[in-house]
Amino acid sequence: MPTPGELARAGVLDTRSALAALSQLPEDVAHAAAAALGRAADPDAALAGLAALCAAHAQFAAQAADARFTAALMAVLGASPALTDHLMRHPKDAALLHTAGEQEWDPAQVRGQLRDAVRGEASRSASVAKMRAGYRRWLIGIVARDVVVGQPIHVTWRQLSDLADAALAAALDIACAQHPADSGAGKAPAVVALGKCGAQELNYVSDVDVVFVVGDDAGHCDIEHATRIAGTLMEICSEASVEGELWTVDANLRPEGRRGALVRTLSSFTDYYQRWAQPWEFQALLKARVVCGDTVVGEQFVQQTRPFVWTAGRNPGYIAQARHLRQRAETEIDGDAAREIKLGPGGLRDVEFSVQLLQLVHGCDDESLRVPGTLQGLTALAAGGYIGRDDAAALAETYTFLRAIEHRLQLRRLQRQHTLPTAPDDLRWLGRGLGFEGDPAQQLLDRWRSVAVDARRRHEKLFYRPLLDVYAGLEPGAARLSATAARERYEALGFADPDAATRHVQALAQGVSRRAVIQRTLLPVILLWLSQSPQPDAGLLAFRRISEALGESHWYLRTLRDESAAAERLITVLGSSRWLTELLMRSPEAVAMLADDEQLQPRASAALHEEFTSAAGRHDDPAQAALSIRALRRRELLRIGVADLLGLLDVDAVGRALSDVMAATIDSTLRCAVAAWEVEQGRTFPARLSVIGLGRLGGAELGYGSDADVVFVHEPAGVDEPMATAAVLAAIADVRAWLAAPSPEPVIDIDADLRPEGRNGPLVRTLESYAAYFEQWSASWEAQAMLRARHIAGDEGLGARWESMIASVRWPASGIDDAGVREIRRIKARVESERLPRGVDPAAHLKLGPGGLSDVEWTAQLLQLRNAGCDARLRGTSTLAVLREAVTAGLITEADERALTGAWRACTNLRNRLVLLTGVASDLFPSDVSNLRALAHVMRAQSPQELREEHLRLRRRARAVMERVFYGRA
Amino acid sequence: MDRQTEFVLRTIEERDIRFVRLWFTDVLGMLKSVSVAPAELESAFNEGIGFDGSAIEGFARVHESDMLAKPDPSTFALLPWRGDGPGVARMFCDIMMPDGSASYADPRHVLKRTLNKAADMGFTFYTHPEIEFFLFKEQPRRGERPQPVDEVGYFDHAPNGAGQDFRRQAITQLEQMGISVEYSHHEGAPGQQEIDLRYADALTTADNIMTFRLIVKEVALEQGSYATFMPKPFEEHPGSGMHTHVSLFEGDRNAFFDASGQYHLSKAGRSFIAGLLLHAPEITAVTNQWVNSYKRLIGGGEAPAYVCWGHNNRSALIRVPMYKPNKGTSTRVEIRSIDAACNPYLAFAVVLAAGLKGIEEGYELPAGAEDDVWALTEAERHSLGIDPLPTSLSRAIAAMEDSELVAETLGEHVFDFFLRNKRAEWAAYRRQVTEFELNRYLPVL
Repeated sequence: MPTPGELARAGVLDTRSALAALSQLPEDVAHAAAAALGRAADPDAALAGLAALCAAHAQFAAQAADARFTAALMAVLGASPALTDHLMRHPKDAALLHTAGEQEWDPAQVRGQLRDAVRGEASRSASVAKMRAGYRRWLIGIVARDVVVGQPIHVTWRQLSDLADAALAAALDIACAQHPADSGAGKAPAVVALGKCGAQELNYVSDVDVVFVVGDDAGHCDIEHATRIAGTLMEICSEASVEGELWTVDANLRPEGRRGALVRTLSSFTDYYQRWAQPWEFQALLKARVVCGDTVVGEQFVQQTRPFVWTAGRNPGYIAQARHLRQRAETEIDGDAAREIKLGPGGLRDVEFSVQLLQLVHGCDDESLRVPGTLQGLTALAAGGYIGRDDAAALAETYTFLRAIEHRLQLRRLQRQHTLPTAPDDLRWLGRGLGFEGDPAQQLLDRWRSVAVDARRRHEKLFYRPLLDVYAGLEPGAARLSATAARERYEALGFADPDAATRHVQALAQGVSRRAVIQRTLLPVILLWLSQSPQPDAGLLAFRRISEALGESHWYLRTLRDESAAAERLITVLGSSRWLTELLMRSPEAVAMLADDEQLQPRASAALHEEFTSAAGRHDDPAQAALSIRALRRRELLRIGVADLLGLLDVDAVGRALSDVMAATIDSTLRCAVAAWEVEQGRTFPARLSVIGLGRLGGAELGYGSDADVVFVHEPAGVDEPMATAAVLAAIADVRAWLAAPSPEPVIDIDADLRPEGRNGPLVRTLESYAAYFEQWSASWEAQAMLRARHIAGDEGLGARWESMIASVRWPASGIDDAGVREIRRIKARVESERLPRGVDPAAHLKLGPGGLSDVEWTAQLLQLRNAGCDARLRGTSTLAVLREAVTAGLITEADERALTGAWRACTNLRNRLVLLTGVASDLFPSDVSNLRALAHVMRAQSPQELREEHLRLRRRARAVMERVFYGRA
Repeated sequence: MDRQTEFVLRTIEERDIRFVRLWFTDVLGMLKSVSVAPAELESAFNEGIGFDGSAIEGFARVHESDMLAKPDPSTFALLPWRGDGPGVARMFCDIMMPDGSASYADPRHVLKRTLNKAADMGFTFYTHPEIEFFLFKEQPRRGERPQPVDEVGYFDHAPNGAGQDFRRQAITQLEQMGISVEYSHHEGAPGQQEIDLRYADALTTADNIMTFRLIVKEVALEQGSYATFMPKPFEEHPGSGMHTHVSLFEGDRNAFFDASGQYHLSKAGRSFIAGLLLHAPEITAVTNQWVNSYKRLIGGGEAPAYVCWGHNNRSALIRVPMYKPNKGTSTRVEIRSIDAACNPYLAFAVVLAAGLKGIEEGYELPAGAEDDVWALTEAERHSLGIDPLPTSLSRAIAAMEDSELVAETLGEHVFDFFLRNKRAEWAAYRRQVTEFELNRYLPVL
């Protein structure tokens, strides 16, 4: 009898129970069992199982005296305590363990025995019990080969697939017997395995994916009959019983998924694949293999679906699309993704997916890649030079390791299981099962971590590294990606011009500089990020330019080397936005701001004013000072644009931020102008001047492409009016000239055409002059133009007085009269028919088209003109705020507001995105395909058509509300 | 290249086919055709045939006019009426944008999208149309009253009937193109025929209707007569409708059937009908799209004018036909408003969408109408909650304008085009000074 210490050293946890169990065994058996403890993954469970078996069945004790038998039995029970139950019922099956691993494995024999076992049984339940018992017996044989002999894992999964085939064949026999063919009709369907079973890479317990096919000559009754057979087959395999269930037969990979017909004819399958299927559905077919049933039809199915599989990868951008779906699947994992062996990032599914994807892309032309298994696929890809040989070897090793973990986990309770356990005892057991010694739990975790880190980079390695190796010096004899294959790869990644991409990558990767070395390492992941952006070609070129501009600067290289979020953002910006790329090109060092979310928040208005003013103060030459202000503005635009593009700012916040920047720019430039005047004239500036923003600037709803609509008001300070006016006009002229002067900095147009009397009126007026004008001439449309007026720059006190002067004009106390309402409606109607540029589709015009910006804004403004006089809540300058308050005031319903603001935000957002994307301001919904596609991408829409549909829908709803609220139509 | 495409290319070679007609349908339901030489076909399969979409009613605006027609090889068939010379074949096309995505202006795509929605809910949609049309002695000249080929009525067997020869010839050609015919007979009005197609999935049926209309016109021309699907050519005779039986299947199971339900209608079946009823006014502009369509709907008899349903009630908009024992798969619903001059793709799409909406929202089915709705007084109908269908194209347009359901089903582009086109049609119609006015007013005013 071993001592407790010996037991503990052999890995036993509960030595007291173990001693008790050993003491019940005959002495020779106990001796053999104690010696075999070290071989068992879970020695406690193995020993308990052995004791129970010996107690229940006398013959066990006799056999167990054989040390070799006992060692095998302990190993099997230690790996799979669940098998104890089976051996309790079928003790004879243990006899296999005497010779485990020495008999030849013959699939035909396995299938023959299982089918024979179910033949002639009277009831279905008896047949099913026989089938399952037979299945378990062969399973013990496989477990023994696996854990006792230690056969390679790919042999094990091959055997498991053979056994599953046999079980399916036997289950089909039972199902056919239950549904005899009547009146000459009704053959069994062909059972075609997909997935792991199709590839003969099955696990101990995983779903067996199948589809059921019947021939084209099958009539309606035949299909119904075959459907009954298929349904019964699925029940037989998965229903619970004394003999334990096998696994779930999963037929959801069929056309239309779980909602589609269970059995289809051959031509119905091909029809579906031809007409309805998405490219990625063909991945499932890659592994199709006939198992049983009508094998002739099954073979036809496999043959006829091949062409679909081997053309799917030709779609441009296929990899990016498929990756996108895959990423979505990853985010849907419940529970602990970090412990997921199968579904998590870098998990088994990821490896299988990547290998399949590459097979599909390059297998169109290269038949050597058309192999079913993942390991076979890896070998073939490496042999053809499609992936690096070392990568393939490392990946195969990782894959095998993860599969081994999965096997051990499933074997224990014969349950589906693919999460790494957390309990130390479970980890220890798992480590022992995998053959780790010393501290098995710790060793297992160490290995797992190294695999997980490796997994993060695996994707880039597989897809992108070979693109670099095309030019790199490889060891002689190693296969490399051919030029044609490289083109295919670039196209599948979404690059429109593979030759240009090739040149850029070459330029970036060549040389011995530190930068080139870092870029060589980084390029694979950069290509990955670019392939997920709407304009990969432009993005790659821009990256090359930025990279050449920033050269060897230390922080840039560090940013790149660390593969930080900043690097990814940089690539996203370059691949999505020409406008931001241009801004970045002017000051590549601004790349630094991408590193920090804090940095990407818009600056507060006061901070902007202070910074702009103090930057200007560092220059003696006012024109230079103005330029430095414009440079600062450019940096702020970049900040806002990047945050917008990355989804850190919503459209309302973008409008506010851009308006703040505009206000600060004008204000600080105006200060420069005043200071310059004072220096030149040697006296104090003889007037106060306030700049009033109108339109979107006044509403704090500016876009990237908007001009600054303003009017100027001044007040003489200690001089007569003509002198003051002259000084003020000089200052304004300076401001406008400096802001619009040609320079690399973005230009600002100050537009004062909306002032009283338009271009014919004086550019500046005094407060009194404005008051007099509005008293005399105020037409309702002029009041309307002032609704969004707001002081934005210059003398604040004067601005405030101007605002209170205008209050009674724009918010008439009792609202505008019916004649005024009529006039505004008529002007709007005329604008609708006349202002649209000739030949433009009204529905495409974001500003003037039906349901566009101007519809919504005019609606809000009419509500204000009529009601703001008696309801102070409506006295805002922002369209969105006014509409919100109109709901509170009971003027429109919540639904109305949603419809109006929905369209307004959509149009504003589109205008902004169009500037970001193309660098050019446009009021038109794009009609050319490439812009539309890119736009759909940056708007995260499902498809360009879907984007247009959604947009038109919002506009239609807004127009309906507008016609009612603005035009007063019933 | 898939097997069906290979089959098409092989057949063209073997049968010495010199022209292949590529067919598609504009938004108003007119058949469009472009011929390609067999040599061009392979590239048509791969890339599509480019054409100017702005020249097709409702397809595109000028600045985005490039479109592609991509033939669907599963619709390949030889045209039977071209005589002995080298053969001509046809295929229906899907319309694509230059980037390869489906065009939202293509009526076929509108139907496919709606069918996909049904598929997401687990349903396949089957339809079975009974198509009526008139046969005239020759193409009526402008201003002349058309002359029917015969003067007999419903189910009459006219000796030496031109109609009979015609139907035999037409059905032969339909069968040659793989379109199965279930019944055919003489209809109620002089010269009026009816041919019923066998039920099939809605996309196939819509394709078949397009083919059917062409074959009927071709055969008529061959025989020196003229066929029309105009809904109401004669004031005094019934018009031509296209009563359509529809059913939903979940796999092999008829989703409308429930052995224990009233009239063997399942809950889904009842909600589907309720959806059709609730949304009937707003989809009528699509199912009955011409000014003339509404003249048929006033007529009484077989054409419905009121929104109600009944079991074997021939005056109701929706009829649930008599259930035949042990034919659980044949439970179906007959929609009686649709006319044969509709765009079948759009009509099936809105009908399906209305029914699905009923199922989605679980609408309750109102009580069925037992009486002949025509015989009731206005007040009686009102008290029974039976509303009229739109009585004119103008009212149908107004009902459709407010319909989220129709907008979503047709897609914003088709919705907008369709409404604009129909408003223009109504405006042109209103400008007419009719014979009625001249006859009635000139003598007395």
